[in-house]
Amino acid sequence: MTTTPTDEYAELGKEVPVSQIDHELRALWEQDDARTNASLMNLVVYTERRGGLLENSRIIGDLARENACRAILVEIAREEETSLRAWITAHCHLSDGRKSVCSEQIAFRLTGRVTGRFRNTVFSHLNSDLPLIFWWQGKLSEVFTERLASVMDRLIVDSSSWADAKAGFARIAEATEGNTALVVQDLAWTRCWQYRVGIAGLFDDTVAQAALGGIAGIRICHSPQNRNTALQILAWLAVQAGWKHKGAGVFETRDGHRITAVIESSPDSAPLGLVELSSPGTTVRVSREKGSAHLLREIESGDYKVSSLSPADPEAAESLVAQQLSRGGKNSLFLKVLPTFLELL
Amino acid sequence: MKASVETLGTAMSNPFREDLVSRNRPEPCTVVIFGATGDLTHRKLIPALYNLAVGGELPTGVNIIGFARREKSDGEFRTGLEVLNRKVSRSGHDAEVWDNFIHSVSYHQSEFNDARGYASLAKRIDEIDAGRGGKGNRLFYIASAPEFFDEILIQLKGAGLNKAKDGCWARVIIEKPFGTDLKTAKHLNKVVSQTFAEKDTYRIDHYLGKETAQNLMVLRFANAIFEPLWNSRYISHLQITCSENLGMEGGRGGYYEKSGALRDMVQNHLLQLLSLVAMEPPTDLSADGVRDEKVKVIRSLRQWDTPEKVAENVIRAQYTAGHVDGNPVPGYREEDRVSPTSETEAYVAVRLLIDTWRWSGVPFYIRMGKRLPKKSTEISVHFKEAPSVLFSALPGGVPGGNVLVIRIQPDEGISLRMVSKIPGTSLRLEPVKMDFHYATSFGKGSPEAYERLILDAIAGDATLFARRDEVEEAWRFIDHIERAWHESDNKPPMAEFVAGSWGPREADEMIKKDGFAWRRL
Ligand SMILES: NC(=O)c1ccc[n+]([C@@H]2O[C@H](COP(=O)([O-])OP(=O)(O)OC[C@H]3O[C@@H](n4cnc5c(N)ncnc54)[C@H](OP(=O)(O)O)[C@@H]3O)[C@@H](O)[C@H]2O)c1
Repeated sequence: MTTTPTDEYAELGKEVPVSQIDHELRALWEQDDARTNASLMNLVVYTERRGGLLENSRIIGDLARENACRAILVEIAREEETSLRAWITAHCHLSDGRKSVCSEQIAFRLTGRVTGRFRNTVFSHLNSDLPLIFWWQGKLSEVFTERLASVMDRLIVDSSSWADAKAGFARIAEATEGNTALVVQDLAWTRCWQYRVGIAGLFDDTVAQAALGGIAGIRICHSPQNRNTALQILAWLAVQAGWKHKGAGVFETRDGHRITAVIESSPDSAPLGLVELSSPGTTVRVSREKGSAHLLREIESGDYKVSSLSPADPEAAESLVAQQLSRGGKNSLFLKVLPTFLELL
Repeated sequence: MKASVETLGTAMSNPFREDLVSRNRPEPCTVVIFGATGDLTHRKLIPALYNLAVGGELPTGVNIIGFARREKSDGEFRTGLEVLNRKVSRSGHDAEVWDNFIHSVSYHQSEFNDARGYASLAKRIDEIDAGRGGKGNRLFYIASAPEFFDEILIQLKGAGLNKAKDGCWARVIIEKPFGTDLKTAKHLNKVVSQTFAEKDTYRIDHYLGKETAQNLMVLRFANAIFEPLWNSRYISHLQITCSENLGMEGGRGGYYEKSGALRDMVQNHLLQLLSLVAMEPPTDLSADGVRDEKVKVIRSLRQWDTPEKVAENVIRAQYTAGHVDGNPVPGYREEDRVSPTSETEAYVAVRLLIDTWRWSGVPFYIRMGKRLPKKSTEISVHFKEAPSVLFSALPGGVPGGNVLVIRIQPDEGISLRMVSKIPGTSLRLEPVKMDFHYATSFGKGSPEAYERLILDAIAGDATLFARRDEVEEAWRFIDHIERAWHESDNKPPMAEFVAGSWGPREADEMIKKDGFAWRRL
């Protein structure tokens, strides 16, 4: 186990024997009094993608600025010969331009047979008493078990990266059965947060509210990778307003009138480019140009036209994770919307 | 076809709001700022509204009308606001958001006492509301000098602007200072109550909009370990310190001469902090639930109602020439716009007793001063010492009790001082500090107090605003002191301290009589 400057993993910090991790971390902090070690959570980032470890270390460098944590990064490569390597480092930044605030990071690369070894390795290095946030990147593999889920406080996944979202959520449901404390968060859902805030805000306007009962059409545009986000926001609209899904994009309101939803995918769209609800005479719309940092929120009803800008939801997975971490919460709304979303898939 | 708003009623609600955010909803409205060409509007109010827009928190359809005396076009008004926003905005200046935001800002020229100006304002608001089917909410922000507060309220009423339209609301935010004594505060409250219902009246105390002030309730009531100890059995005393290193720069002397430390800071901000730290758990988090408990604290303050009691429990002082941050500074009476024979206090220390079961026998000390060594506001809770039977024989004994410090500014955070053994073969004890800094653990900045407070007013949440009885009870307490200082036959003396020191010797002696000392900051 040697660390040479040409080592492709040099960026991960100091390579250390697994049994020495705690000792080495202590030594790391003793080196320099000017640094403060801050931590609000254990953040495990799990990937089975080759090269994911290095990329995730860079991501933590950014993420830790606003979310002090002990980061535990894991890359799994089953096809390689059995081995386990570990590195430690600290991501520091200046707070208020003076104090250096740091988050510590332990990176593991596990190869070969993984089952069993993975769990024990990771869980013996958690910071006690702090919550465990588990960011699972990509498809859920057989490593994701009920035993693993039982120690997590929050599981972050991105259903947009799954080929089969129904199967993915079924797997989570199976592994978390009876575990009501675990908060499951889907980045596809986080991607439409500002859209939801925007729509809710527009319907505070009396003109939009008056039109609500007469909504007849919904249009949603998205980029090809973000169909789940589009379906989730549609599911949210339906669940909140009490519309029943009748199949083939048709909903029925409580008093029996029909609403037709059209979902369009376009490579020229922002991840979520448009959510528009229209009744005869009134249009309530939130939209975003591809690449724009803002959402445009509008109400149009005859001569009455109001608009405002609001921040767009971030696109990069790490920014969405950062947003979730800073918001917290139980994500109960997502759970409420999930069955309708699965039905729409 | 235009949407019919006739069908609007209270039954109509917004299903999409449910579950989304845990706060009252801010609704579209017209905001009228009185005194809109002033410093407060340019430095605080417009940047706060803009930053709410940046965060997407300002409702779509908010209109802002600036009301002031001088002639200005909308364009000139907007340009002036932009110049300042570029300088002071917390999140910087995004041209795209600004353009969209400033579009809804306009200027209305009128004297405060000119009824025609209010009539034309009413017409203008009606025109805006016409687009919404004649409905619309309005928020009046009185950011003028205090001598105009009455006049503006009376004129608003005269023009019928205080009356909310059916199913809508009309609210007023009133800047500080709310009166200069009990009599003026009562008078102002009377004028306000003839114009707006108490539930629609929002008296600003920007200290309550600060993150740590809000966190006080969370700290006390969401952590099971503190509340059982939060009483006279375990706490020996509490200190609230607000120190400023600035003096009367920038012409501040003129205003300060008329108010002084007690009225400028203690009557409002520091008594508000005191009531948050000393109140009983409220029955719920509603505005009145919280304020009912806060006012009980102020009402239970033992009154220093004779000059003798004032002399014993309150120290006032002025600074003499000295050094702050290594620079020479003049004494208070030599400052710009300050009278050479001034009797205004630039420092005050008050010993308070709260006559309740919980706080019986626990003194609270408040000190506030200009030209102290550094800028800092904090609350420190000093716990009684552990019985010393075990460690009293050790060299050095037990080094002091536990102190919980809640820092309000700068560097908001919380620390706890505990006693620990020094490593080694012998048993020696030393204090150690557990320290929590918001900025370290939560990297993102807190919103400005004004952002939170304006949004709360738009959303109809008055929890962080002072209620009529709170203000009056606070003045009742302060008035006795002011009267002893300025109207009695045996006025307690004005003490002195050297600028850049931690206040006068007399204040040290006052706290020492109880067996305590001021916390060294
Ligand atoms: N500045 C701060 O940071 C701050 C902080 C906390 C509280 N406050 C409080 O906020 C209030 C305003 O402070 P400020 O510093 O903004 O005051 P300011 O700069 O003196 O502004 C006064 C405003 O009132 C207008 N005005 C004065 N007389 C008028 C009249 N007869 N008719 C119409 N408009 C008139 C002025 O308009 P013209 O310019 O057109 O004459 C100007 O817009 C005060 O109560 C103060 O105690 C201020």
